[in-house]
Amino acid sequence: MAEGNLIKPDLEFVKRIRNSPGGESLKKCYQCATCSVVCNVTPEDKPFPRKEMLHAQWGLKEKLFANPDIWLCNQCSDCTAYCPRGAKPGEVLGAVRKLSIEHYAFPSIMGKMVGDPKYLWFLLAVPVVIFLVVLGYMGHIGIPDGEIIYAEKFVPVPAIDAIFISAALFAALGFFAGVTRYWRDLKSGVEISTNKWQKKVKGPLPIIIINTIVAFMTHKRFRKCEVTRDRADAHLFVFLGFAGLAITTTWAIVYLYGMHLESPYPWNDPMKILGSISALSLLYGIVQIITNRKKNAETAGAGGYFDWLFIMTILTIVVTGILSYALRLADIAVLAYPVYFIHLVIVFFLFAYAPFSKMAHMVYRTTALVFAKYSGREDKKYN
Amino acid sequence: MADETTGTPVSGSILVVGGGISGITTALEAAEVGYEVFIVEKNPYLGGRVAQLNKYFPKLCPPTCGLEINFQRIKNNKNVKHFTLTEIENISGGPGNYDVTLKETPRYVNGNCTCCGKCAEACDVEIPNDFNFGMDKRKAAYLPHEMAFPQRYVLDASIIGKDAANKCREACEYNAIDLDMKAKTFNLKVASIVWATGWNPYDAKKMDNLRFGWIKNVITNMMMERLAAINGPTGGKIVRPSDGKAVSSIAFVQCAGSRDENHLPYCSYVCCLASLKQTTYIREQYPKAKVTIFYIDLRTPGRYEKFYKKVKADANVFFVKGKVAKIEEDPVTRDVLVTAENTLSGKKVQGRFDMVVLATGMEPSTATVKVPGNAKYDENNFVISGDILSTGCVKKPSDVMTSGQTATGTALKAIQTLVRR
Repeated sequence: MAEGNLIKPDLEFVKRIRNSPGGESLKKCYQCATCSVVCNVTPEDKPFPRKEMLHAQWGLKEKLFANPDIWLCNQCSDCTAYCPRGAKPGEVLGAVRKLSIEHYAFPSIMGKMVGDPKYLWFLLAVPVVIFLVVLGYMGHIGIPDGEIIYAEKFVPVPAIDAIFISAALFAALGFFAGVTRYWRDLKSGVEISTNKWQKKVKGPLPIIIINTIVAFMTHKRFRKCEVTRDRADAHLFVFLGFAGLAITTTWAIVYLYGMHLESPYPWNDPMKILGSISALSLLYGIVQIITNRKKNAETAGAGGYFDWLFIMTILTIVVTGILSYALRLADIAVLAYPVYFIHLVIVFFLFAYAPFSKMAHMVYRTTALVFAKYSGREDKKYN
Repeated sequence: MADETTGTPVSGSILVVGGGISGITTALEAAEVGYEVFIVEKNPYLGGRVAQLNKYFPKLCPPTCGLEINFQRIKNNKNVKHFTLTEIENISGGPGNYDVTLKETPRYVNGNCTCCGKCAEACDVEIPNDFNFGMDKRKAAYLPHEMAFPQRYVLDASIIGKDAANKCREACEYNAIDLDMKAKTFNLKVASIVWATGWNPYDAKKMDNLRFGWIKNVITNMMMERLAAINGPTGGKIVRPSDGKAVSSIAFVQCAGSRDENHLPYCSYVCCLASLKQTTYIREQYPKAKVTIFYIDLRTPGRYEKFYKKVKADANVFFVKGKVAKIEEDPVTRDVLVTAENTLSGKKVQGRFDMVVLATGMEPSTATVKVPGNAKYDENNFVISGDILSTGCVKKPSDVMTSGQTATGTALKAIQTLVRR
C-alpha cells in the first residue's frame, strides 16, 4: 500500500457527541452518502454531511471544527428524512455545532456552563443578584406607588446602561476571541483557492462580508430546505424583530442623550411604533419556530437543551417585554414591576451569554459563510 | 387432471401454499418419499418468480431448465396434486389436524385445451401483461407464458359476460372454453402446512427521489429480467422503454429500498448478484456498452465472489461507491441523470445514462396478504416457522439455490409433524 495517514481517533470526543442531544444516532451511519446527495445547500466537491459523519465517528475533532462546512448546514433535515439508517445527520451536525461553540468559547468555562442545564440556576442568579443589588442600593425594593415609571421608580437608566454595556462588552470580547481563533483554524484547515478570476469576482474580504450579509437578508440558502421549508420565514421574522429592536434601542439612546427626552414615550411616537412592530414580529417568529419544531419533531428531531434554552430565552424576552408595556398602560403595578424585572434579567442572560449560547450561531455561521466565499469553497462544480 | 381433484383426502397429508421453486421443491421432496402433498397456487401456472427470470444462479441457466425437470416430477408422481388459481381462505385446527378452506377462481378453460391459440386470435380485448410487469399487453384469452404449467389457456375475468368471451368460445374447436365456470370453495384436511408464498418486488414508486414511474427509462431489476428474456416484451432485446433505442450506457442503483429504514430495513440478499448478472446480459448484447454500478457495499456471499471478480475484470464495467439519491430526466433526450457522492473520492458525481435499473429488493408476500391462520411473523412480515411452517423467500430473502436447500429441509420438518404423532 502507498503511504497511509495515521488516524488518531479522539474517543472522548466521540463520546461527547453521542452524549449530546441529537448526537446519539451518530454510530448508525454506514456511509452510503444519501445525505450528501439530497442536501440542497452542500457544495459539489467534498459535500457534507457524509464526510462530517465519518469524521465524527472517528473523533477527528479538528477536521470538524477547522472547516466551514458544519456551519454551511442549515439543518433542513432533508438528509435526516432520507437517511436509510436513522443516523440523523442534520441532528448530529447540530450537536457538533454546539460542541464547536463550546470549543471556541472564551472564557472556556462559560462554554461548558451555558451548554449544561446544571448551571442554569447559577447563570440566572448572576443578573438577578446584580439587579437586586441596584434596587437595594436605590432603596427601590418593593412595588412603588403611583403612576408606573420603570426608569424613575425602579431601575434608573444609568444603572441599566452600565450593566448592559458591561454585558455587551463581555459578549463582544467572547465573540472576538472565538471568531479570531475560528478564522485562524479555518485558514489552516482548508486549502484557499488560488483562482485569480474568482478572487476578482468575489473582491476583497470587506466586500465578501457585505455580500454575505446581503445574501443572508434574503434567506436564499435557507429557502432551499425541503423537509422544513417553513423554517425560513419564521427565522426571518425573528431576525427582523431583533434588527428592529436594535434600531429602536439606538433611537432611544438618541432621544435620551441627544435630545434629552425622558421615557416613557407616547405610543404613537415613531420610535415606539417601530419597537412595537419589531416586538410583534419577534413574537410571531418565535411562536412559529416553536410550532414548526413541534410539527417537524418526527422528521427533524425535537432539539435539545441548547436549542430550547435559546428559544425560551427569546420567547421570555418578547413576552415579558410586551407585558411590561401592557401592564404599565393598564396600571397594574403589582404585576408590572416583577414582569419588568424578569425582562431585564433575561435580556442580560441573552446578551452576556450570547457567545456561548445558540445565539452564537449568528456569528459563527456568518464567519463560515464569509470564509466559504473567500476560500472558493462555495463554487466548486461537478468534476 | 390433478387440479380438478375435489373432496376430502385422507388425513396425514401436507399442504404447500405457493407453487414457486420453494413450494414445488418442498412438495416433491415429501411426495417422493411417499407422502401425499397438495400444492396451492394463486396464479394460473406454477413456477413463481423463477419463471419470470431470464437466467438464474448459480449456473446462469434459463428457468426452463430447472422448472421443467420439476414439472416432470410433478406429472410423474401421483402423490402430488396441485391447484392453480386457488387461494387459502381459512385455516382451522392445528398440526396433525388442520381443516383448510380453499377458494378456486374460474379459469374458464377446461382440460380439453390443446393450446392451439385460436381463442387468443379471436379475442379483441387486450389487457396489461402482469407477467412482463405491464411492459406490454396480452389478449384477454392467454397462455400466461410459453412454458406455463399446466399448459392451458386462461380467460381474464374482465371479459366474462361480454362479447369478447363468446368470440373466444366460438373460436375454440375443442369445447375447451366453459363460460359457466363458477368460483368454488372446498375444504382439505391436512396434517401439516408449509407457507411458501414467496416475495414481491418492493414497490419502487415509494422511493420518491428515484422517480420510478415518472421517468420512463428508469426500470426495476425484475423488469430487466423480462426485457432480457427471449419470451419477454422485446423478444430478449435490451432496449430503452421510451424509444426502443439500443443501450450504450446503463446504470444500476443498488439498495433501491433495501437496507433502508424508510423502506425495507434488511438486505434483500440477491440484488447485488442480480445486477452483476444483468450486467452480463447487457455486455453480451452490446460489446461497446458501458455499465456503471452504484453501490453502498457489494455483497457477493460465498462462491459468488468469483462471479463479482469476473464481472469486475470487464473494462466497460464501472463501480461507484455511493448510493444514488437523486434521479432526473433530460426532457429532450429522455436520458437519465443520476447523482451520487463517490465516497472514495469525496466528489459528487452526476452521470448521464440511456437507462437506469433500480435494484429493488424482496418484500415477503405476507407484507400484503397475511396467512389466514395462526402464523408467526418477524418485524418485517417474514413468516417464522411455527405450527405453520414457512420456506423460501416468505421466510427470508434467498437466491434460488438457497431456496432449494431450505425447501428440502422444510419437507423433512413437515414430515416430522406427520410422523411424530
